[in-house]
Amino acid sequence: MKEVVADVAVLVGLVVCTLAVIGVWRFPDVYTQLHAAGKAAFLGVSMILLAAALTAGGALWPRAALIVVLLTLTSPVAAHVVGQAALRRGEDVYSGDDG
Amino acid sequence: MGSTVVVVAIVWLSVLIAAAVVRLIRARSLGSRILAVDLITLLLIAILGLIAAREGTAGYLDAALVLALLAFVATTAVARSYGGRGPFS
Repeated sequence: MKEVVADVAVLVGLVVCTLAVIGVWRFPDVYTQLHAAGKAAFLGVSMILLAAALTAGGALWPRAALIVVLLTLTSPVAAHVVGQAALRRGEDVYSGDDG
Repeated sequence: MGSTVVVVAIVWLSVLIAAAVVRLIRARSLGSRILAVDLITLLLIAILGLIAAREGTAGYLDAALVLALLAFVATTAVARSYGGRGPFS
């Protein structure tokens, strides 16, 4: 049972990480790329760390939890700072194919 | 999770990192570059987690923790410098 849950978690994590990279590839400006990378990569990494802790157990649990908590706190801040810096530098804001 | 799953996952994450590196090189703006480096670091943390599960040792997660902390500090510092402000202003 534990194995199956870990397999599913790592699969979901890989799919979400892939979506993050695809988003960074395809989206036209920094702000939309931040939307993809800031959320998806964090969620994917959290799922993969959960799978790792489920597999090996023991001493991995507190460290994995610590990393997830840390990423929860820092990932939005980092995304905000990058977006703010890009806006202050006047980087292009994508306004659709017509605009 | 079986060892095959772990190996496949590590290989796939490596492919993702390679794609992110290409994106980093071809980025149109510095903001995109900072973002790509942040993304690469997150994927590295995932790889370290998988290696920790494979080996059954927690030491790799210590490295992942340090990497997460350093990535946040580096991203914040570079982004604030790029935005024309200092780290404390």
